Amino acid sequence: MSTPSSTNVRFNLRDKFGDWWEGTTRNQRVLFRAAVIVFFFILPFLDNPILGTNESDFSSVLFYPMGMFVIMAIGLNIIVGKSGILDLGYVAFFAIGAYTHAILNLNFGFPFWINVFLGMGFAMLAGLMLGLPALRLRGDYLAIITLGFGEIIRILAINFNFTGGAAGLAGIAAPPTLFGIEFVVDDPKPFYWLLLTLMLLVIWAYLRLVARRPGRAWEAIREDEDVAEFMGVATMKYKLWGFVLGGAVGGAVGAVYAGQVTSITPENFTLQISIMILACVVFGGMGNIWGVALGAALLGYFPEKLRFLSDTRILFFGLLMVVMMNIRPDGIIPRKKREKVYDKNTGQEVTR
Amino acid sequence: MSKKLLEIRNLTMKFGGVVALSEVNLHVSEGEIAALIGPNGAGKTTVFNVATGYYTPTAGEILLDNESVVGVKTYKIARKGLARTFQNVRLFGDMTALENVMTGADSKNKVGLLGSMFGTSTSKKDEERSHKKAAELLNFMGISHRAGQLAKNLPYGDQRRLEIARALALEPKVLLLDEPAAGFNPQEKVELGNLIKKIRDAGFAVLLIEHDMSLVMKISDRVSVLDFGQKIAEGTPSEVQKDQKVIDAYLGVADHAS
Amino acid sequence: MDFSILWTDFASLLLDGIVVGAIYALVSLGYTLVYGVLRLINFAHSEIFMLGTFATLGVTMLLGFTGFEEPLGILAFLGVFLLAATVAGVASGSAAMLLEVVAYRRLRRNNANRLSSLISAIGASLFLVEFFRIITDSKDWDFPRLLDKNSLFQVGTAYVTADKIVVLVGAFALMIILDRIIQTTKLGRGIRAVSQDERTSILMGVDVDRVIAFTFLIGGVLAGVGSAFYMLFYEATKFNVGFLLGISAFTAAVLGGIGNIRGALAGSFVLGLIQQFSSAVLGYNWRDVVTFIILVLVLLFKPTGLFGEALQRARV
Ligand SMILES: Nc1ncnc2c1ncn2[C@@H]1O[C@H](COP(=O)(O)OP(=O)(O)OP(=O)(O)O)[C@@H](O)[C@H]1O
Ligand SMILES: [Mg+2]
Repeated sequence: MSTPSSTNVRFNLRDKFGDWWEGTTRNQRVLFRAAVIVFFFILPFLDNPILGTNESDFSSVLFYPMGMFVIMAIGLNIIVGKSGILDLGYVAFFAIGAYTHAILNLNFGFPFWINVFLGMGFAMLAGLMLGLPALRLRGDYLAIITLGFGEIIRILAINFNFTGGAAGLAGIAAPPTLFGIEFVVDDPKPFYWLLLTLMLLVIWAYLRLVARRPGRAWEAIREDEDVAEFMGVATMKYKLWGFVLGGAVGGAVGAVYAGQVTSITPENFTLQISIMILACVVFGGMGNIWGVALGAALLGYFPEKLRFLSDTRILFFGLLMVVMMNIRPDGIIPRKKREKVYDKNTGQEVTR
Repeated sequence: MSKKLLEIRNLTMKFGGVVALSEVNLHVSEGEIAALIGPNGAGKTTVFNVATGYYTPTAGEILLDNESVVGVKTYKIARKGLARTFQNVRLFGDMTALENVMTGADSKNKVGLLGSMFGTSTSKKDEERSHKKAAELLNFMGISHRAGQLAKNLPYGDQRRLEIARALALEPKVLLLDEPAAGFNPQEKVELGNLIKKIRDAGFAVLLIEHDMSLVMKISDRVSVLDFGQKIAEGTPSEVQKDQKVIDAYLGVADHAS
Repeated sequence: MDFSILWTDFASLLLDGIVVGAIYALVSLGYTLVYGVLRLINFAHSEIFMLGTFATLGVTMLLGFTGFEEPLGILAFLGVFLLAATVAGVASGSAAMLLEVVAYRRLRRNNANRLSSLISAIGASLFLVEFFRIITDSKDWDFPRLLDKNSLFQVGTAYVTADKIVVLVGAFALMIILDRIIQTTKLGRGIRAVSQDERTSILMGVDVDRVIAFTFLIGGVLAGVGSAFYMLFYEATKFNVGFLLGISAFTAAVLGGIGNIRGALAGSFVLGLIQQFSSAVLGYNWRDVVTFIILVLVLLFKPTGLFGEALQRARV
């Protein structure tokens, strides 16, 4: 079996940050969080030659690909990273959200703000309908089923009339003005802020869930599904929830995307999107939300920053997945928990 | 006669052509340590797998507190009061010891996923309950100082103890232990024996699979012997020890021509 | 929906179903063989096939075919096609072995979890598709007509053409060769041993690494030669040709019980026929939806396949 840990001595940035974080007071934490949030909201104004992207406009890069990658990677991480279930059809939820907004807006004039929620709802429903049968299957079978699902949604969009067929749908409404902020096509900043707000909500919900019973259930499923079941974990229920919640995130982002680009075609929702998001999760560190967010941001950023990557980004993503799995399967920020040791007699935490 | 908490009647389990269990009758009564022994491949672990709903029996009845659990989902059987450990330790390696036990304790909680997300008062109470329960059990098993360590990094003996703590967290009616002393030295075996008695005295009935005879003889109230999927003897430790069929089975001279 | 076509065109649908099934069979064997030894779906297998189609095309281009020539005589055709199929087989076979080394071997040695291996293979697959997208310029590539496709003779409504005969004869010959290899050679027996029980076969002195490499080689060669037949029959390829064909071939393998060689063959023909008949009624653009639904239904209700032996749950 495994040997006792002796890793505590190694210097490690994550542990350093953790130590510092645990030493802070409540007020300091609030302040720190506020500062981080403010930083991200004013980020579009910090465009400069060093940070900025030369391949395209910085604030539009912040919206797509960076922001979209980050939030979708966080959504996918619930199922792939936390519960260890490989979902290769994540793009389907994204597509469902986008088409929900497009169809309901064009045919019935539903406004964006309603469609975001409906898009989430339909994505969740689709997740439920696919997950109910598919989540009973073993890992690689499930992977191929979800892969097929993502592709089928796209093929259906091509074959049906109400989705506009291969030509797609155009003239989709942007979100109406909110708090005096106008959503117009040539200014991506408001869309970035919208995405950021959504992201904060998702992170809030995620952190609460994983710190409590659902988080333990998901991890237990990832570690050993059979044993989780023996320990009274309703594995199917939690897998479904993970699937559906990830789907909800994808659906909401899809609606935002449709509202920004205002025209969509089935070719916006290819398998490659699913795999790129998966690459973000894998690169950042499966199961660690901060790693995943950082990984997705980097993978969104560098192809826009570096000329030689922008044409070959997918090639690079594929290579990265193979390389990461071979040399650093835990990603750039591993999910490994910080270990604490308690004294046998006093029950006090022993400082390292 | 005290109440039978787990009762297995005429249980048969076939895997393709292999008959792992054939017409086995067993029971575990309130407040006792029952032992299940037998040579390798006798079908002992299979009894656990069938009782916990992992396999559906080919034939037979399984009653947990007088309620049939055949066909009931594994996690539901676990919640009804049947918790187990594994012959080869199977912990949630990347979770801390405390979280391992809390996962077991969670199964007694009511809070759902949305409740956890919105932080309802039930969710807070439940979270506290799981935490307290887990801390108590780690203490009970003498591994409090491991609470914050990842299960995979614990020394082997503590892993075994942690597995028992995790199972106890389900507050089972019957605790199923699959060779808990495997790999222990004599000193550790004695300590484990005392611990199992302590578990019984705390109100859990125990069904123990064990190869170490001296441990079985010392702590169990009743012993059943399996050989080639059939129960060949049952009785107090001293009765079983003298049984010729049992001696033959262990020496491997019994005639299994049929 | 017009069901009468099922009767009026019965013979031609049947023939095409069998021809398509024969191509699927060669690809699905790769899935099933690798699954047998690794217990993993080789996600990049479809790209091994795709690579073969371009190798086939490359040979004809190097020989100077432009697509405007008259079809060849039978001997000239056989010469050209054998060369192309051999090159495709070698190219795909070596690519598959390389894939095993790069994407699987180290993970296997480190006892990595299944998820890692799947992700690694998916990454490799993405890389290959994109690589070929770039070098082939995202274009559709036509394959020159090597054989006269006028009907040789007619059976009912089915027009029997030379290319269909070549595909059928060639595929059956390959299947027989494969069967001989698996049944009689040392490495073939190794494949069977590892498929049955890896641990025991190690104890019995089977060199598992070599067996696995050999399995990838065979699967790759079959997919490569299959891709030559594919090119002969469909006469076009594209960088993403592997994806849907891979799903079909994989579905065929599952239909026959994944890991089961003869099952994969049977599953391929069954799927080829189902696809032809259903497309005749629903339209060709629903073919892949139908395939996917079959895949889901089989996995859900009969995951051991139509002919698979009853697999047990993992032991605890
Ligand atoms: N899933 C299964 N599929 C096929 N055969 C099985 C399965 N599970 C158990 N068996 C067979 O049933 C028989 C009993 O196995 P079991 O594991 O219950 O024995 P055991 O008494 O626990 O032995 P040990 O002391 O070695 O743990 C063995 O012959 C075993 O091979
Ligand atoms: Mg056993």
